[in-house]
Amino acid sequence: MTPNVRHEVPKRHEPIEMVLARLLRFGSIIAAILLAAGILSMLLGHTELAPRIITAGLLALLATPIMRVVAAGMIFARDRDWRFAFFCLVVLCALVAGALLGHGHE
Amino acid sequence: MPSLTLLFGVSMRSAVAASTVSIIATSTGAAVAFLRDRLTNTRVAMWLEMGTATGALSGALIAGYLDQRYLFIMFGLLLAYSGYNMFRTRKTELPGEVVPDRLSKKLNLAGSYYDRLLGRQVEYQVTRTIPGLIIMYFSGAAAGLLGIGAGIFKVPAMDQVMRMPFKASTATSNFMIGVTAASGAVVYFARGDVKPLLAGPVVLGVLLGAVLGAKLMVRLKTSTIRKLFIPLLVYTAIEMIYRGVRG
Repeated sequence: MTPNVRHEVPKRHEPIEMVLARLLRFGSIIAAILLAAGILSMLLGHTELAPRIITAGLLALLATPIMRVVAAGMIFARDRDWRFAFFCLVVLCALVAGALLGHGHE
Repeated sequence: MPSLTLLFGVSMRSAVAASTVSIIATSTGAAVAFLRDRLTNTRVAMWLEMGTATGALSGALIAGYLDQRYLFIMFGLLLAYSGYNMFRTRKTELPGEVVPDRLSKKLNLAGSYYDRLLGRQVEYQVTRTIPGLIIMYFSGAAAGLLGIGAGIFKVPAMDQVMRMPFKASTATSNFMIGVTAASGAVVYFARGDVKPLLAGPVVLGVLLGAVLGAKLMVRLKTSTIRKLFIPLLVYTAIEMIYRGVRG
């Protein structure tokens, strides 16, 4: 096996993929724990508590991809990759605009 | 989603909401394994997400002014065509020599990953950068207009138009759909369409399934994944055309 030659600047930081992987893993673990706890309490008959825990789990899951765009933008900005940091900003603006418009829609 | 309404008889709106949150679960759960294997091209993903996000926004804005029937038929035919293309290339593992366009070089979109099955590092170039973005815009608009998971358009766009390796296309598409779905899910949450007792178990199941599925995919042959993907394309194409014709 020849070593992998990639034409890149030597990395001072952890690669972006690994940071994002860690973030997404953290988000899904939190969501999974909350969902499992919610379902368990539903089975145990805590009808008041269960929907709240499950909603918290679903919201954690919902926040994860949005946080992922924020994190990617921060990493690109740190690496002075302004073009890509700007791309992340465009995506975030579209997300916010969509949420605001959708909110007023119905 | 159809199985939710058919099997459990839940209302259409809460089924759509639960399935949208499930898409986030699929994307997030699977993305971890893909990112670790470097299958996901994060630069291509960020570039194309601009298209899907603005597309979804404009789709939501013009929804109601357009006849959805023609859209369903149009997108259905488009999918059928890319299904045919994928069938033609079903045996190819990798796209061969690809000459990157100028923008692709400027944005440094080329990538590489270690293919466990081929036992070597795969280096690849990306081309037709602008057409790819335009297709993503329409795929996002389709998601906003028709309420379909637009992941099905993303894979053919990256695989057939931008000439990325199939595994990188599927991983990058999976990475992107989380954001598209999140923009829809925000609205469903605000409207109160997300029913926790219904969505909770479904989403947890999907989340665990996605983690396992992704671990399986990095070990599969490209031609095998293609063969699994083609029936999905054909099925969706037929369903969309049917919905369009039926009105």
